[in-house]
Amino acid sequence: MKKNEEAVQTPLWTVCRRFSENKAAMAGAVVFLLIFLIMLLGPLFFPLDLSYSESTQANVPPGRSLMKLPPELKGNLAEIAVGATFSVGLSTEGKVFVWGHGQVTGTTDVAEIPQEVQESVITVVAAGNDHVVALSADNRIFVWGNTRLGQGDFPEALKNAGRVVQIAAGNQCSAAVDENGRAYLWGNENLCDIQIEEEYQGKIRKLVFTGFAYAALLEDGTVAYTGKKETAVSDIPERARQGGVKDLASTAQTVAAVFEDGTVLVWGNCVKGEERVPETDAGFVKLSGGRYHYTAVTKTGELLSWGDDSFGQARPPKRKKKTAVNVFCGGYQNYALYEDGSVETWGLKGYFCGTDEFGRDILVRLLNGGRMTMTVGAAAVVISTVLGVLIGGISGYFGGKVDLLLQRFTEIVSALPFLPFAMILSSVIGSSMTENSRIFLIMVVLGVLSWPGLARLVRAQVLAEREKEFVTAARSVGVREAVIVFRHVIPNVLSVIIVSATLDFATCMLTESSLSYLGFGVMPPQPTWGNMLSGANNSTVIRSYWWRWVFPAVVFAVCTVCIHLTGDGLRDALDPKTEER
Amino acid sequence: MAAVFLIVSAVLYFLYHLIPGDPVKAELANFVKENKNLTAEQIEAEKQAITVRLGLDQPLPLRYIRWITGLFTGNLGYSQSYRQPVAQVITAPMQNTVILNLMSVVLALSLTIPLGIACAVKKDSVFDRVTQIVTMVGYGVPVYIIALLFIYVFAVVLRWFPVSGMNTPGAEFSSVSGWLLDRIKYMALPLLVMTAGSLGGMTRYVRTAMVDALGQDYIRTARAKGLPERAVIFSHAWRNALLPVIALIISWFLGIFGGSLIIENIFGLNGVGKLLYDALMQKDYELVLAAQMFYVVISLAGNLFLDLIYGVVDPRIRVAK
Repeated sequence: MKKNEEAVQTPLWTVCRRFSENKAAMAGAVVFLLIFLIMLLGPLFFPLDLSYSESTQANVPPGRSLMKLPPELKGNLAEIAVGATFSVGLSTEGKVFVWGHGQVTGTTDVAEIPQEVQESVITVVAAGNDHVVALSADNRIFVWGNTRLGQGDFPEALKNAGRVVQIAAGNQCSAAVDENGRAYLWGNENLCDIQIEEEYQGKIRKLVFTGFAYAALLEDGTVAYTGKKETAVSDIPERARQGGVKDLASTAQTVAAVFEDGTVLVWGNCVKGEERVPETDAGFVKLSGGRYHYTAVTKTGELLSWGDDSFGQARPPKRKKKTAVNVFCGGYQNYALYEDGSVETWGLKGYFCGTDEFGRDILVRLLNGGRMTMTVGAAAVVISTVLGVLIGGISGYFGGKVDLLLQRFTEIVSALPFLPFAMILSSVIGSSMTENSRIFLIMVVLGVLSWPGLARLVRAQVLAEREKEFVTAARSVGVREAVIVFRHVIPNVLSVIIVSATLDFATCMLTESSLSYLGFGVMPPQPTWGNMLSGANNSTVIRSYWWRWVFPAVVFAVCTVCIHLTGDGLRDALDPKTEER
Repeated sequence: MAAVFLIVSAVLYFLYHLIPGDPVKAELANFVKENKNLTAEQIEAEKQAITVRLGLDQPLPLRYIRWITGLFTGNLGYSQSYRQPVAQVITAPMQNTVILNLMSVVLALSLTIPLGIACAVKKDSVFDRVTQIVTMVGYGVPVYIIALLFIYVFAVVLRWFPVSGMNTPGAEFSSVSGWLLDRIKYMALPLLVMTAGSLGGMTRYVRTAMVDALGQDYIRTARAKGLPERAVIFSHAWRNALLPVIALIISWFLGIFGGSLIIENIFGLNGVGKLLYDALMQKDYELVLAAQMFYVVISLAGNLFLDLIYGVVDPRIRVAK
């Protein structure tokens, strides 16, 4: 078909066709809609817990390999000790492997296994939050990782101790128990009660650490709190004090005892369901504790988990045919060792976008922050568009004194320096507000301050339109003035309004994020793309924790660029005059 | 213009008096700290004296009139947090901000105008397309993201410039040139960021205006009568394209000052934006007010200046008058 023989099209259809022919604009619109949908629906799948904070998960880089067992360990695994975000594996030959995220500071990394350890035959490993303790076959103890707080300063008495039978590592502290039943503890005393009552020395069989204390299993099968401070786990239940305890395990806040008869008793600060031990006919034989959950192996080789399930760590795989022989938990990870030597893992694999300084998942904050940024932007655009159209329309159509007055008013509002003024409004009015009304205030402030541009545009367009015949015609048949303005004139300037609103949306998102970035917009912990970036404003974060600023920055940049592409495309589609540009 | 100034200043002044916080109490606390063993009467008397000294015993409109007349005579009030007259506190930051912004404006214009013209002349070429995409990114991305990126590249990876600050702490300079060099080293990155941030928008404006101008009939006429291409572009098209560009410079210019507020805070530059931020944090409202008025004056002066420039560039406006 020749060009001049094209079928007659409705204006809307023409606009759609012209828009869809513009590749850049279409790409922009599609990507923007995609981001918009993700931000709209994402929070439904990744709900945000505003009070969430987890120090052990702080600044974890993006990745999904926290539980990726090295191939060398497949089939000859002896033991795994799990730290906060890393795991230490011991092969049957006494070789040590570390995987996961073990970076403690810029220079220390748990993954850097000391030469001596690599050359020795290791028999036992234990992992704390950020350090590892290993015991070699020739009775030497090694500590590496974070050793700045005395985790590696062995007490003098340990040199004269007998053969060490157990080692343990807690929150910046370590412990060893020798064959004579004497316990030795060292490390940071401020976080954890690592003193020991002298009367228990010589009777201790095993120690387990919680986040702030430790409990001891004595030779006679009773459990005792041998530390000196009163803590949440120091009140040992009557049953555990009477004996019959076979093994101990612990989470960050609780201690659990496994009895000879296969039952389990949990005590301490049970906040995430650690005390809800599932019922089973077969008794428990092995028990291991993560940060807020326990996993156990029953006599029949079945795996049972309970407690916190935020990363799926309390949902062990159901393998009917395999029998588990041991389980190793720590942090949010689980490793189950089966009879045939295979290993199954479940729990926290890692974070797609890493975590921030409070251990919060960046992806979750990105999604929820995106929704907040877009909501604020959209609300502000609606307010500013309504105001702009109203004021511009009235001013342009009626002219005269009304126009003059409104023009001056517009001038005053646009003379207010935007960012400083918005900062002041938010700090003056917002300081005594709750978080939600503050967010509402920011929407209103942005909307109320950003209409003058649109008002000027609409006024100029209306001035041109009102002299046209259709307005005279409408007036001559007695249509009311207000109806003429908003039903007859405004639809003719709709294209300007739509384009301006699209571009304003990007501007409002930008301003909101700038305000939040400066700390005068939406306040943390409520995330927005702006305040997620404000924490990144120092060279350490920029260099070492790139994921904390790159992800929000990239998503935000892509989003605003796409809105601009869409807006420009819309303008070209609506106004054929601009096509030759 | 003057009326706008008065109204805006009044709005701001009344708004600031909504800030929760009692300046008398703050002053009194200082007084009590400095003089030990005061009797209750002495404290009460001092409280009265401070109230009178700060003029808080008078009604708000009267205080506004006193403040605005003070403004014209150079008396901007007294800063609570610095314990100095505001005029004294604000002078150095004001100079820094104006220098920073003017330098970035000059730099940005000297880059964007040739770039925009080149794009318009070589419309739809590869060069134009690439510039369009790059400027679109620069246009859409907020300035602090550009700042983070630049800090990462130039200060962290390449280590060419310091991350933040005004000059090397504790350094002594024997010569002016040494001091200047140090200063330039610290100013370079913020300046670069500001310029890069405003590059996108302005290049696009210039290009659009130029494309419009080049499409006019008089350009065809000029070419038809055999004028050299240089003359067509620079004296025929550019003179006409300048008008919409200047109109857009207004909002852009004000945007730059707003943007410098963020830049100053990121780089820790001693400018009005940083001063405003700190003053807001410390609820030092006389200082906030003065910093705010600085922005108002800048925006009004910008408007006035551009009106005048309009007259210079466009002879038709002069004729119409």
